[in-house]
Amino acid sequence: MNPILLDTQVQIYLLSEAILYLLMIPAFLISLKIIPKWDFGSFSQEQYALEREAYLVMTILIFAFVMKFLLLPYFVFAIDNLNTLVPGAMCAAGVISANSYGMPLLFVKLFLVFALILWMAVNHYDLEAKNYPWFKIKMWIFIAIFIVASVELWLDFSYFLDIDPTRPVSCCSALFGQLEGANPLPFGLDIEKLLILFYLSWSLIVFAHYTGQTLAKLLATLLFVYISYYAVVYFFGTYVYELPTHKCPFCMMQKEYHYAGYLIWATLFGGSFGTMAASICKIFLKVDTGKMESLSFAMLNLFTLTVSLYPLVYRLQNGVWL
Amino acid sequence: MSYIIEIEDLQKHYDNSGERFHALRDIDMKVRRGECVILKGISGSGKTTLLGIMAGLDHPSSGKVVVDGEAIAKLPDRHLSRFRGKHIGMIFQHYNLIENFSVRENVMVPLVPMNLDFEEVERRVRESMEVANISHKASMSAGRLSGGEKQRTAIARALASDPEIILCDEPTANLDRANSERFVEILSKLHDMGKSIVIATHDPIFDHLPFEARVVHMEDGRVVEEGRES
Repeated sequence: MNPILLDTQVQIYLLSEAILYLLMIPAFLISLKIIPKWDFGSFSQEQYALEREAYLVMTILIFAFVMKFLLLPYFVFAIDNLNTLVPGAMCAAGVISANSYGMPLLFVKLFLVFALILWMAVNHYDLEAKNYPWFKIKMWIFIAIFIVASVELWLDFSYFLDIDPTRPVSCCSALFGQLEGANPLPFGLDIEKLLILFYLSWSLIVFAHYTGQTLAKLLATLLFVYISYYAVVYFFGTYVYELPTHKCPFCMMQKEYHYAGYLIWATLFGGSFGTMAASICKIFLKVDTGKMESLSFAMLNLFTLTVSLYPLVYRLQNGVWL
Repeated sequence: MSYIIEIEDLQKHYDNSGERFHALRDIDMKVRRGECVILKGISGSGKTTLLGIMAGLDHPSSGKVVVDGEAIAKLPDRHLSRFRGKHIGMIFQHYNLIENFSVRENVMVPLVPMNLDFEEVERRVRESMEVANISHKASMSAGRLSGGEKQRTAIARALASDPEIILCDEPTANLDRANSERFVEILSKLHDMGKSIVIATHDPIFDHLPFEARVVHMEDGRVVEEGRES
């Protein structure tokens, strides 16, 4: 048997994902039944029965989705710990690139986090109203989530089953280093311009937040999350590691870096996806998303403050930049 | 005519091992603001089920239940709890008090989610206990009260949030004659205060109330007769 599957954390992770998926199957089937028949204005026996079933579906989904949020950092933690079994890997970066399923799986997981936040937001505003005005919308979002979750589960098993512990992989310095002079940054940017764009997009978010320009905030957040990934990997991360050649999005989630990566990525993706979900709800559902916007905005500011502090503290302590 | 409770074509059934038990059938009922309605019938006639649905504690199988303008069976949980806390005071047959709490604390419980300032809470608790004639036992724990005192504490608790509707489920079933008469006196006060009252009971003491009340007879989950008594 593949020794990867004998790893306790991998077993826990795969079992948890499978159980959550099994939980979602009846919710999916009931949703398919509910959507065409749903008529909230009706006082018929059928409608009351649908409302009771909908209550069951919501209960299952809220539990399953909260657990899926928690499973994402656990997934990263589990694959990070696999670096001792996969030759050449120093952290999760090497393990995730051990086969062709790893990176698509990570992207699917990130997309799902956004979709789950969006569903949670729509569900919240739907329950805030008295007549479930967005019930069908949230059911359709769930159906989309279920389809993506099916792909995710297939990728989960394909990925772990396909990791070959005898095949060497590249370490993070090979994966994220500037090999042969090629520039890994987007739009041909250099580090200075990347940082200017980083703080510019953050300033745009702050401006849009305080002036209430929802669409501008949504677009600025999309730019910010994209730029932030590169800024963290290729600039701020080097101050986390205190090594100018160490460029990796995963190592910072290890114990020797005080698990700082979990805070950095959770605030970036949580804040960005929260802002995007709130903006979408505000634009399309016309609801007051004030609390969600404030929470997401606070997370983005915490992210910006956290990553900015690393180089500043390093400069104050050592008197030089890296 | 302003109705505080409107029920149309209400059905309630329970399915058990393929068998269907009809607890309520074809109920149509309206309760005017300030009116007192006595639901009478033997055990199992559907009185308590009907009261539970009016209170939003249970859901109908079909039919419309509108309480103070809200279709309560359709309200999402968080709205239903808020609505019930604000509009409905419920007096249960077995009182449902928190035994370790004092009378005063029991009366205070429904006010906790309302986020009132402390002076307002104090005022409401004091006034409710006065109406229910239980002020003299305010600091005694509920577990040490007699049946009649527990009943009066339950009345004070139902009144604390100043609801428009008071629903009572067999309120005198566990009381002796003297305490039942005291309950009727308090009921009379509530009626004078303009509260809409619905009582599910089979106690004959409600046959001769000191104020006007409408009697609705129930049998096998159906309303079989309506009359007016005072």
